[in-house]
Amino acid sequence: MVGVSFDTPAENAAFAKKFNFPFPLVSDTDRKLGMSYGACDSPKDEYARRIAYVIDENGKILQAHPKVDARAYPREQLASL
Amino acid sequence: MSLFGMVRFAVKSLTGKARMLKPGDVAPDFNTTDHTGQPVRLRDLRGKKVVLWFYPKADTPG
Repeated sequence: MVGVSFDTPAENAAFAKKFNFPFPLVSDTDRKLGMSYGACDSPKDEYARRIAYVIDENGKILQAHPKVDARAYPREQLASL
Repeated sequence: MSLFGMVRFAVKSLTGKARMLKPGDVAPDFNTTDHTGQPVRLRDLRGKKVVLWFYPKADTPG
């Protein structure tokens, strides 16, 4: 599991520590990832949309989730992996 | 590209609205850094199922 936001690594480090996330949180400060995955409309967007993908073992999209609950989703997905 | 596809592409270009990827699409590779400074590259995660979770802002409700 990989978390993505437009936050800085320092903000993400505090977030990961607080919730004890056992997975990496990556900083997409230039919105490249957000743009290529449809999580934002412009490189100037302030925030990423609450979306998620499950990518299969061969690098293809298995599931696309257009709206996820930010609190419950990481827990649910970790349980299903 | 079909006519429908072209129209959809034109509309998308005009509005600038990003579209989500669909099941079966190739997940675009990325090469970035995580909160501990470690590199994270999608290509290196081949062979594993990956959940890519976008969230708006660290430590905000919702």
